[in-house]
Amino acid sequence: MKISFLLHNAYGIGGTITTTFNLAQALAERHDVEIVSVLRHREHPNFTLDPRVRLRPLVDLRQEKEHPLHLRPAKVFPRAEYRYQQYSELTDQRIGECLATIDADVVIGTRPGLNVHLALQAPAHVGRIGQEHLTLDNHPPRLRNTLRRAYRRLDVITTVTEADAAAYRRKMTLPGVRVEALPNSVPDPVLPAADSTAKVIVAAGRLVPVKRYDLLISAFAAVAAEHPDWQLRIYGKGEEHDRLRRLVDELGLWNNVFLMGAAAPMEAEWVKGSIGAAASNFEPFGMTIVEAMRCGLPVVSTDCPYGPGEIIDDGVDGRLVPVGDRDALGAALLELVRDDERRRRMGRKALQNARRFAPGPVLEQAERLLGEAVSVRTAGRPAAQERARARRALVSQGFAARDAAFTAASGALRIVRKGQR
Amino acid sequence: MSTEQHGAPPRVGCVVDADGRITFDLPPDPAEGRQQVLLRLRPKKGQPEQTLHLLDPEPADDGYRRAVLGPRTVLAEGRWDVYLLDGPGSERQRLRPGPRDTRALVDGHLRDRQSPLAVRIPYATKDGYLAVRAWLRPAHAEAHTVDLTDRSMTVGARLHGASLQEGAVVRLRPRGGSGTEHTVEPRPADDGRGLSFTVDYAELAAGTGAASGVWDVFVQPAAQASAIRVGRLLDDVADRKEVFVYPGVTVGGVVMSPYYTVDNDLSVKAEKSG
Repeated sequence: MKISFLLHNAYGIGGTITTTFNLAQALAERHDVEIVSVLRHREHPNFTLDPRVRLRPLVDLRQEKEHPLHLRPAKVFPRAEYRYQQYSELTDQRIGECLATIDADVVIGTRPGLNVHLALQAPAHVGRIGQEHLTLDNHPPRLRNTLRRAYRRLDVITTVTEADAAAYRRKMTLPGVRVEALPNSVPDPVLPAADSTAKVIVAAGRLVPVKRYDLLISAFAAVAAEHPDWQLRIYGKGEEHDRLRRLVDELGLWNNVFLMGAAAPMEAEWVKGSIGAAASNFEPFGMTIVEAMRCGLPVVSTDCPYGPGEIIDDGVDGRLVPVGDRDALGAALLELVRDDERRRRMGRKALQNARRFAPGPVLEQAERLLGEAVSVRTAGRPAAQERARARRALVSQGFAARDAAFTAASGALRIVRKGQR
Repeated sequence: MSTEQHGAPPRVGCVVDADGRITFDLPPDPAEGRQQVLLRLRPKKGQPEQTLHLLDPEPADDGYRRAVLGPRTVLAEGRWDVYLLDGPGSERQRLRPGPRDTRALVDGHLRDRQSPLAVRIPYATKDGYLAVRAWLRPAHAEAHTVDLTDRSMTVGARLHGASLQEGAVVRLRPRGGSGTEHTVEPRPADDGRGLSFTVDYAELAAGTGAASGVWDVFVQPAAQASAIRVGRLLDDVADRKEVFVYPGVTVGGVVMSPYYTVDNDLSVKAEKSG
């Protein structure tokens, strides 16, 4: 198969980029794979891309930032999408041209706005797969409305968790569209696994409020008080940096808590730790949890929607604690800090259990879905099975009406929503 | 809109062991065994390069080739850039970093070192290339904890390649020649290696004419001994300045803050508040 991914910006850092590179690399074993990066702002990607995967940028911001068309708002890319401000008439045009002339059997969109492009602009013979790396329930109602219309023209929608796939099936009428959870994959680590002896707790992600690094730092205070030779290392950068630094100062934790800056890839940093930590209020998947586990770290995480609970087996290969509960998070960390044997056992279990997120199993499922999208297109789309879905449609019409009402109301109030990503 | 050749400069991973030995994992050799790894001490701006080390890779059991920088090779203090040569005298290709397994360095402060102290940390430069940060000192005072009150700082440290004797003193030397040196007495631990010292900020600030300045921190371990710079070199962090950060304390309208320099040495700065 010839497979094209449509990605926002292959040159940045983030879970979607990582997982797209990983899947592209795994598919490149047997298929012809390219990544189309709508934007480019630097010479090389931050993450290493398999040389068999072609990378094709559409708009190079280093030269085209001031392009007259780039200064005009996008018309195809949906206005309600989180990244709307980074899109323009220029991106509309380039993505449109790219899709019109694409030499692929199947195209995979990797965010809602690009899935809309795919739904509206892909040629009829090309299979269309929309990947959802965020979650339906967390999208603003106006975006849900846009997607509800556009996504009917896709062949397959993949979510990263079962919980989100269930939400799509329940709340959207998508006749003939297959909705399935396809977890993110993490490649086999190249370094030996962590051996659980390092007195270091590691966390990684963008420093944004939803990740609750403030909660993690406060929870770690209990660890530092009892075990002053332990460190907490937080990797990543973002808007919360200065606030987190002040919190470290207020709590007097500057000898133990370190804001390490961004690291990509993280593997060499995970193996320096012996416990992984995540404190998010919301996590569409939880890529860093899987990464840490694949490096042999048990992970202590909040049991937030949706990912962590589908990744961690509580008490076996990590710990799940209630969202926003500093004391529970601190106690769970301490439990692993105090007990070397338990930490070692759970780390070994994490290594085993996280193999289900290895490229192999995920690749098999992805290939099946890609094959389905292609064969649907070759055979002509099957008629929608309206009758069988009648009951579900009634339910989801209720959700559609609610989103429409929300959209009207919030439009009138001009509520500016910020995406939680 | 062209397809990018993203494979251009090779990425090379490396492993560091507790003795400082660095093993570079090399990609397949198109020059059939004539490739060499070149380490170059980065010269100061406008200066010619002077110090080079060449490493000959050797085939490993698993089919890869490895180039080893042994612990006995003396690297001058500074930043060393890493290149690949296709053969002796051929053009250099600067290497990009692969995975750097530096976990053996994380608890490096727990091992006592002899003189001279040699430290190497492989790291990725800001522009995305592989480099090695090296320190070479006759002796070293490794800072571990910095405790702060609203009028003083207390530093815990450990000597490597030296031990505390009668007449030991901690010297805070003003940088740039202005102001006067401030000395405090160290509190030695029983083994003669560990120590701590407390600096009263008001006393330190009083030693400067202007309301701003920087003091570099040294330990002179015996009455006649040379002063040893206090710093933090014995872990995996190549650039510490933005990572190990301490809050400032305002004393008499002056903000006093300990900090690590670009060379990971400990200094104290005074700045007018507001």
